[in-house]
Amino acid sequence: MTEEPVIRIDNVSKSFLSEEKPVAVLENVSFNVGKEFLCIVGPSGCGKSTLLRMIDGLDRPSQGNVYFHGKPVEGPTPMMGMVFQTFALIPWKTVLENVEMGLAWMKITEEDRLRRSEKFIQDVGLDGFEASYPKELSGGMKQRVGIARALALEPEVLLMDEPFSSLDALTAEGLRKEVLEIWSNPQFSTNSVIMVTHNVQEAVGMADTVIVMSPRPGKVIDNVRIEMDRPRDQRDPRFYDYVDRIISKIS
Amino acid sequence: MDLALALQLNAVDPLNPINLPYFAARSLLRLTLAFGLSLGFALAYGIAAAMSRRASHVLLPVLDVLQSVPVLGFLPAVFIFVLTRVPGEGGQELASIILIFTAMVWAMTFAVITGINQIPNDIKEASKAYGITRSRYLRQVVLPAIYPELIWGCILAWGGAWYFIPVEEYATFGMTQVQLKGLGFFIAQAATESRLDSAIIGLVAMVLVIIAINRIVWRPLVARTEKYRYEATGGQRGFHARHGKLRSSLLKYEGRIANPIVTFFKYEKTNLSSFLETVPRVHVPPKVRERLARIFLVTRVIVIIGFLGLMVLVIFFLENSPIPTLQAALNQIQSFQPIKGCTGCLSGFPLLAYSTASSLLRLLAAYLIALGWTLLAGIAIARRQKLAKALIPIFDIGQSIPATALFPIVTLLILSRISSPMGIQLASIVLLLTGMQWYLLFNIIGAIHNIPNDISESTSAYGVSGKRFIREILIPASFPAIISGSMQAWGGGWNATIVSEYIVTGQQQVQQVAGLGAVLVNANNAGSAGTVVIATAIIIMTLTILIINRLVWHRLMKRADRYKFES
Ligand SMILES: Nc1ncnc2c1ncn2[C@@H]1O[C@H](COP(=O)(O)OP(=O)(O)O)[C@@H](O)[C@H]1O
Ligand SMILES: [Mg+2]
Repeated sequence: MTEEPVIRIDNVSKSFLSEEKPVAVLENVSFNVGKEFLCIVGPSGCGKSTLLRMIDGLDRPSQGNVYFHGKPVEGPTPMMGMVFQTFALIPWKTVLENVEMGLAWMKITEEDRLRRSEKFIQDVGLDGFEASYPKELSGGMKQRVGIARALALEPEVLLMDEPFSSLDALTAEGLRKEVLEIWSNPQFSTNSVIMVTHNVQEAVGMADTVIVMSPRPGKVIDNVRIEMDRPRDQRDPRFYDYVDRIISKIS
Repeated sequence: MDLALALQLNAVDPLNPINLPYFAARSLLRLTLAFGLSLGFALAYGIAAAMSRRASHVLLPVLDVLQSVPVLGFLPAVFIFVLTRVPGEGGQELASIILIFTAMVWAMTFAVITGINQIPNDIKEASKAYGITRSRYLRQVVLPAIYPELIWGCILAWGGAWYFIPVEEYATFGMTQVQLKGLGFFIAQAATESRLDSAIIGLVAMVLVIIAINRIVWRPLVARTEKYRYEATGGQRGFHARHGKLRSSLLKYEGRIANPIVTFFKYEKTNLSSFLETVPRVHVPPKVRERLARIFLVTRVIVIIGFLGLMVLVIFFLENSPIPTLQAALNQIQSFQPIKGCTGCLSGFPLLAYSTASSLLRLLAAYLIALGWTLLAGIAIARRQKLAKALIPIFDIGQSIPATALFPIVTLLILSRISSPMGIQLASIVLLLTGMQWYLLFNIIGAIHNIPNDISESTSAYGVSGKRFIREILIPASFPAIISGSMQAWGGGWNATIVSEYIVTGQQQVQQVAGLGAVLVNANNAGSAGTVVIATAIIIMTLTILIINRLVWHRLMKRADRYKFES
């Protein structure tokens, strides 16, 4: 307990006003995120996105706090990159411009900005599409742009909100593999990944730690370490055990 | 007893505020009678067109053509026609009710038809399969299906009708003075007597009545519409819930464009062709649709010209003058002057050209001012939730004021401070502004509201803020809305020229600026000597709008596609 984790979520509660009445969305949520791949699973509406947005500083907890290296998160920082479920690409900007826009924080020259964006567009396999507009791309390619935009910041923490749930099953499977490959690359500067999903198989397939949440108001009901080497085999009995354990908690 | 008291005071000073309830009742009675007629017509026509395929082949195109007829062109013809048969106040009332009817009826009729066409096919088939009688089908399927659209149609119709009230309660047609007791009359009379306080009291009363009707009548009815919507439009439900208020503000305001001249320039798309797009089971390929739209448009321009010709003939007939030959018509235009016997003044076609250019310049000035402030307001609202909560209700009240009712007051305020000719030019531009700004404002606010949540979150997650956010996100995202708002605003602006270029101030003193609107009013006042000029001016206005739409807005609209979010 001496070493401060990368992110510490300390007794966080959140409620929204709905027709003037407060509705509790999250209740007393606490967990730590170390240098690991962490997944948050839970039924839809349980506050997963809200929690992720509070980690990024896009929203503030009603009670409790989120700490990044021991300091409370006050607002978005370039130390974290966010990937959105609906990609959140600007339709009137090209792939390159979309990725460059993500570098607004960086006080670097125009040239460096360009070089850096191009490098990460290559890394996610979109070489040659720099001048395309989002509407000319398939769903999988759009999410690659979203990922490149987050990675280009070389963030310490990568946040992803259901990044694969708008994609068809095959595309999603391919992209999951690639994300894990990038993650295992020693050159990769990101220490922690926090990914939100409602797909338990996906969580067990990717994460070191799975945080399981209850239906609204969301509470942490389990914190599961997945002790399996990657790449993981879905037919492995241990994989099933993990999936069963988590599903039985949720339902 | 109160009524008797009011009537008594009436004679002494019509501007006594104690008269206001009576005047409000008179205006409301007029509106309600016209509304009743419109409702009957809309239901009968709409149900006939929608229930019978064969009838619809005739009824739909006829409706589309009728609603594009410039109502202002009607004005003198209707008054002269009715007053020659029913002289006195009764005739004036009758004529004004007919005019309000024409302003209300089209929006409602189209609403009925749209509602019926939203009945899903399987429901129709199920009713047939279970052998439901026609009258039960009408009561249990058709009427509930009409309900939501009809309510919106009614709101639109009332908005349009209120715009008319100040114009037709106090007007001059040739030798005929029309003065009908009502709220519009109250404001105009106050302005004529340069009594600013009375004019403002009258305006406030009118706005209160409008707001009260919205609260008491329309809001509860709208709240019940959700119940009658079919699931197919479920996607829209979220939209209704979230943007209900904005949508209703814009809709209420849009009703006002269904007005004097430029109805069909709304999107320059006929109701019929936009209606075709809402019918899911008619799969019209885009090419055919485009061609149809073009045919409709040409038809409407021809109808307008034909109608105006007819109007000229009718007026000459009613006044027992000889039908003019082409030569006589040209002569009338050539010799037409805004001020009789003015030497060195422009006349004829040079006058028309100069007037068109002047109107255009003033519209441009008003448009730029409107665009500037609405864009700033939109940006401010986008950046501060609290500001949005405070301002949107204020804007909602602002848009509920019929611009025509504001005209006498604005004029009075400006002309008492700045002497002509600068004052009158300025007043004219401010008046145009009141007719243009809301279209832009509500379109822009709507567009900014529609920026997907993830997009605005991503910009703050990646630190895109301040000027950069405005320049690269807010303004491009509003671009499509700015273009469609601009088209509507120019339509509203052209309508407003008629009431903003020729202003009667204290003691029947006339102030005017050069412009097509002033030409129209002067020609109107000239009686049968002006009919050909009226027709010509309306045609010039129509063509000018058409050309500007083609040259400017359509091109920008094509470019705007880039700036739309994928749904
Ligand atoms: N800005 C907000 N205002 C009001 N309610 C909200 C807001 N954001 C989220 N909610 C509500 O909070 C609950 C949890 O939302 P969310 O975090 O998106 O859930 P999840 O991502 O787990 O599906 C939902 O019921 C949602 O309606
Ligand atoms: Mg979510």
